Order: sequence, then C-alpha cells, then structure tokens
Amino acid sequence: MKAIEVSHLTFAYDDTKTTIDDISFSVEEGSYTTIVGHNGSGKSTVAKLLAGLLEKKSGEIKLGGLDLNMKNLTAIRSMIGIVFQNPDNQFIGSTVRDDIAFGLENHCVPQEQMDDIINLNAGKVKMTKYLDQEPTRLSGGQKQRVAIAGVLAMKPKILIFDEATSMLDPQGKDEIKKVITQIHEESSLTILSITHDIDEVANSDAVIAMNNGKIAMAGTPHEVFSDEKKLKEIQLDIPFSMKMQGALKRRGVNVGNHLTMEGLVKELCQYNSNM
Amino acid sequence: MPIQFEHVSHTYSTGTPYEYKALYDINLEIEEGKITAIIGMTGSGKSTLVQHLNALLLPEKGTIRILDRTITAGEKPKNLKSLRGDVGLVFQFPEYQLFEETVIKDVAFGPKNFGASEEEAVKKAKHALSMVGLPAETYEKSPLELSGGQKRRAAIAGILAMDPKILVLDEPTAGLDPLGTVSMMSLFSKLNREMGKTVLIVTHDMEQVFKYCDNVVVVENGKIRTHTSVQEFFADSSLCREMNILPPALIRMKDLLKEAGFRIDDNIQDLDRLAYAVARQVKKHG
Amino acid sequence: MGNITLGRYIPLDSPIHKMDPRAKIVGMLLVLIAIFFPAGWYGYAILFAAVAFCIILAKLSFTFIWKAMRPMLFMLVFLLVINTLFLKTGTPLFTIGSFTMYSDAVFQTLYIAVRLLLMVMITTCLTATTKPLDMTLGIEDLLKPFAKIGVPAHEIAMLISIALRFIPDLIDETQRIIKAQESRGVDLKEGKITERIMAILSLIVPLFVSAFQRAEDLANAMEARGYAPGEKRTRYKVLKMQARDYVLLLICAALLGGMIALSIIL
Repeated sequence: MKAIEVSHLTFAYDDTKTTIDDISFSVEEGSYTTIVGHNGSGKSTVAKLLAGLLEKKSGEIKLGGLDLNMKNLTAIRSMIGIVFQNPDNQFIGSTVRDDIAFGLENHCVPQEQMDDIINLNAGKVKMTKYLDQEPTRLSGGQKQRVAIAGVLAMKPKILIFDEATSMLDPQGKDEIKKVITQIHEESSLTILSITHDIDEVANSDAVIAMNNGKIAMAGTPHEVFSDEKKLKEIQLDIPFSMKMQGALKRRGVNVGNHLTMEGLVKELCQYNSNM
Repeated sequence: MPIQFEHVSHTYSTGTPYEYKALYDINLEIEEGKITAIIGMTGSGKSTLVQHLNALLLPEKGTIRILDRTITAGEKPKNLKSLRGDVGLVFQFPEYQLFEETVIKDVAFGPKNFGASEEEAVKKAKHALSMVGLPAETYEKSPLELSGGQKRRAAIAGILAMDPKILVLDEPTAGLDPLGTVSMMSLFSKLNREMGKTVLIVTHDMEQVFKYCDNVVVVENGKIRTHTSVQEFFADSSLCREMNILPPALIRMKDLLKEAGFRIDDNIQDLDRLAYAVARQVKKHG
Repeated sequence: MGNITLGRYIPLDSPIHKMDPRAKIVGMLLVLIAIFFPAGWYGYAILFAAVAFCIILAKLSFTFIWKAMRPMLFMLVFLLVINTLFLKTGTPLFTIGSFTMYSDAVFQTLYIAVRLLLMVMITTCLTATTKPLDMTLGIEDLLKPFAKIGVPAHEIAMLISIALRFIPDLIDETQRIIKAQESRGVDLKEGKITERIMAILSLIVPLFVSAFQRAEDLANAMEARGYAPGEKRTRYKVLKMQARDYVLLLICAALLGGMIALSIIL
C-alpha cells in the first residue's frame, strides 16, 4: 500500500521559475522516507504541497488513496501532520498544554477528552513535566517536541518533518531524532523527513534526492549512495564511511559499500593483520 | 595579544527578579592571526562572551584588552565607534539586518557610518561583495530578491566592508545546507590566510572546528573549561566525550578502528593518512 | 524591558488570582465607571479603601503600584503647571514673581491624580492577577452575545492571544537587530537628523521583514493543524463562575451604586 502517490506534480510561485518540475514518486505505507537536496531544490515546497498549504499547478497527489483537492482538504489535513523548521513560529498556545490543545480544538474534539489526549501525547515526547510552561522558558528542542506532540494528538497517518532539526543545537537535534525514531518504531505511521542530516538519511528506508525542482535520484540509501557519478553531479554529501571507503580504494583496499562506520570497521576487521 | 580577558564577569538584569549571571571571572587570551572556535552548550555564555569584544556588552567586573584598547568595568568605553569598526561582529542569521533598497547600498551602510564618503563606501562595498563571491548583477537588486545563502553573504559583506581587523561570527552557518556551509567556512579560512584577519567563530559543529579552526575555547556554565589547539583537542576523543560533545566523524572512525584492534597514531588527523595506516595493516595480511 | 510593571502578569497564589476573568473584567469596568462620578473625597476614600483591600488580597505590593504610577508623574506635573497657569479661582496660596497659585489649581490636579491612582490600582488588580490567555478567554466569552450582531468575538480573542504570545519574541528580535546594527556603526542615541532616520529605518525594516516571515510561518502552522477562521471549534479552557465571583460582582456593583448615590446627594 502506498501512503503517498505523486504523479507529474508541477508548481510555480510565479511565472518566471518553475519550482517543482513534473515530479513523480511514491512513499510506502509505514516507511521512513527522507528527502534530501540543496536549499532551493524544492524539498520544502513538496512538503507544503502535500499538506495542502500550497495549491499545485498540475499533476496529482494522493494521500492514503484519497485525491488531494478542495473537496477532500479537511479529510486530508486530518490524515497528515507536519512539523516545521522554526521552533518559535509554530508554537501557537501560551503554554505547552494549550499548544497541544490547539489542534484538538480545531478538530472539534470534546473538551472532556482533551486532557487525556494531551497527557498521552506529552508523554510520548517526554514533555509531561513541562505542560504548564510558557514557550519562552523552553529550549528549541523542547519546543519541537511540543510541536510533535501537537501533531500526534490529531492522530495523523502520515508525519512530515520539514527540516525540523536544522535550527537546533546538537542536543536538540539528538532529542528530536530519537523521538522520531521512537515514534516510527512504536506506531505504523508513515514518516517523511526533509533533512540535511546524512546519518538520518543513511538510516532511512528510502531516499528521494531533489535537485532544481526535479527528482535526481530515488531508492534505498544503499542504492542512492552507491551511484557515485550522480552523487557528484548534484554535489550531495555522503556518509563518512563512504568517504573512507573511497580513500581506502585509492590505497588499493577494496571493501563493500557501508552506510555506517560500524559496518565498515566490521568488514575491515576480517582483513586485519594485527589480529 | 590582540584580545585579552582579565577576570571578566557579566550579569544580566542586575537587581531585578530576572537577574542572571552569564560569565564568571573569565581569563582568556585569543591568539592573533588564527581562527579560534568558541564552543559550548546553548546558554553556556558563548554569545555573551563574544558580545564583549565590540563593547555591545560591557564587563561587570574585570578588564578586556583588545587591539590597543582597554575596556574596564565601570568605565565608559572611549572610541566606541572605532572599536566597532575594528572588531566586526556578525550575528546569527545576519540576513535579518539587511534593510536598504539595494545590496550595494546595504553593504556600504557600515563604512558610511564610520565616516567614509559615498564614493569610498561604494568602493569598499564592491570589494567586500567580491570577497564573499556575490556576482555583480546582484549589486543593484533588492536584498529581498536574493536566495537564503546569498542574503547571508551580503550581510557578511556588510561587516567586511568596514575592513575589521578581527572578525567575530556567531553561528555563521546555521540554517545553511552542507554545500553552503562548506563555501562559507572556506571564505573565513581565506580571509584568515590571505588577509591575516583574526577570526573567532561560535559554533556547534565539530566538523567545522576540526577542519577549519586552529584553536578551541570551550565555555561551560559561564566559565572557560578548556582553551587549547584543535590538534590537541581532537588528539583523542576522551576530552570531547567528557564534555558531552560528539567528536568529528574522523575521530569517531579512529576510535572504532582502535577498538577493533587497529594501531592508529593519535597524530593522524586527515582521511588520507588514516586510510594509508589502515591499508598497511590490512595489506600485510592479504 | 524588565522595569515595566503596568499591565504585567505576576504569577502568585491568591484568591484574586483564582477568580473568573469575566468577573474581574466586569468588576473592573464597574469600578472604573464609579471613579467618574463626582462623589467627593469621602467617595474616593471608600473606593481607595476597597481597591487597596483588593490589592492586599491579591498579595501585590504597593511598591509595584508605585512603579506603575511613576511614568505618569511627569503627566501630573505638566497638568499642575497648566492648571496653575489657567485656573485662577479659589483662594490664592502663594505668589512667585507674577504667578499666583490658587487653591483650585492644586485641588483640580489632586483630583485627577487621585483618579489616576485609582485607575492604575484597579487595572493592576486585573492585569497582575489574570493570565493573558485567561484574559482573552474572558473577553471572548463577554463578547459572545455580540457575535449575533457581527462582532467577531473568537477572532478578536485569537488575535489578542497571538499578539501576547509573540510580544516576548519580538522584543528579543528587536534587541538582536539593535545589536547587529550597532555592530555596523549605527548610533541610536546621537547623530544628525538624517543619520538618526537611517538608524531607525535600519531597525524597522528588518523587524518588519522578520515579523512577516513569522506571520507566514505561523499561518502555515495554524492551517496545517486544521485551523479555519469562522469554523466551529471546541474549546479546551472552559471558564466557570463560582460563588466568590458573584460576590465580587455584587461588591463592585454596590460601589458603583454608592458613588452614584453620593454624587447625587452632594
């Protein structure tokens, strides 16, 4: 089953430049898919199109088998949750509790049920202790965790992270990556993460690489990172283990493609003469 | 020594319920002509520290000597303006300081504030813009028309146009993509090597510290935890791990190889030499 | 910004803090109206006693009230000067040069000063004890009856609460832009007129650009979470009036009634 099906999608902010140029891709239900590409390649625009925040020029978007159009917009919106880049600009409530409640109010959840839902989802992102805190007293990572709880509370089927960690410090990035991984492991949610984090990409089920509004590469991380020629062409960063492999190759040591350092070292061990 | 902190402390909102002590008795000497990284957790006091360099913040106690000037606690700093011209401070997300109608006017704004004539200022602006690699066709555009990375470059050019001797950058690559980050860091490296500018960079990115910086200052809870050369700092990962910092990928690779029984010299700090060392130990066998 | 006290919420645990914001808002309005009835010094003494009691009950300090008053002292001094110049009735008090100060000038100013003090005390009683969000909820509920005649009660409340939510962020942003421009040699305190205009522009333009960016991000975030203005939604926080809230309203109404009565008698 496909969670997201996009075919021949085209979009332009104005007439001078096509931002999304006839792209087609699909995302498997329950998968962890990453989208990579340089700033300006159109990644975030795709996220906004999927969430119905922008209107496509042509093409088709299907979410959970449902066509994205004006008629289905409300249904689609309750199916998809999106966490944005800037932790400050998506915190709407005046406390953590109120912020998680915001989406519930919009979806007309009865007031008596809200406290249970808020507590449950704050627990999932480990923010129960901070429920009555104001946003000014929270770190960037904590604000993003609240944003995730707010989105989870609406029980979406698809979660989109639009560079959700790019404005955070290393601690914050770590927190959020752990929370996302945990959510993915514990639920059947489809996760689509737009990211520059090469380790996150290496750990995902599928990668879509965008360049100039087009899809340059798509496949498993292994497939994508193996295509050296194409990678160079779009100047995409690669995992350190792949760089090391390249350097070893130049020294005459041929090892397989590894996405993690651990995997590479494990293989090298087999040839280690010191042992 | 162009920059020297002696027993410097700083407290925000003294005498209010929001009072907050950010720096405690800082003693620090920054080496001239080098790139120094200032690292530490959010809230450790890094930004407070660097804002003392051009007297945006004044010490509550202690003395700061910078170039040939002295800033002493409790005294009104003299020649504040010329200090701000000599120490260029680039804030986080500097693109938010652009305000003029055109890029060239915005970059010329700084030099004009420091008394340059219109003509001189434009000349300096053009020079700065070419240094940061913005093409001439952008000069007459509105800053709002530029891409994110270009805006950042224009804003940095706005500081460079003042021709500062010391360049201080607060997280200059935040929000840039990997490609933008590399070209930004190369720019600072070039300014340091070719123009002899002393550069201070506040950053969270250990890869940048490792690749581009000479020295590291670690700020922790408003105090200086360590001040050492980058080489020494990353000689092994124990120092990083002790401070809860994820070491650069190469250092992590070295750790894994060592654990797996490879003999890796602590001095190896580049990929090629590491690959060479590993290749030798692997080849003996095969 | 740490020294502005007027209008700031002070998180304390007091009976006044616990009261329903609607009762507090209506109560405040009743007493505010009461101030404007000329009930004489006795009237003001009663009002003052009642409001002071309320402040003690709310655990607020009088220095806090004094701090809130301080920015208005200048205005009062100005008023005294104007009154001295133009009010020439009552008994002459003293003469400096060609100016004679009459008793009415002093009384008039004192009258206004007392009214002003009472107003500050009353509004502080409300704003210092009511969370901004509760305040907007109260306003929304109070405006609800007017929704039928086209007053967008919910939208007004949402607008206020978002403004309140973003004020601290915008203050931070302003301070950062000031520092960034100061680093470029901007001098906000001195300089020729043209320089100062440029200095102010260099703050305002970036502030607007960033505020618009925030607004766009926020609109996206709200829309993505299912917000549609004008559409039906439930509410998480529900206000409930309790016995003490009715008591407060009753006391305030009594104060207003008393002042009207006094002003008619006098």
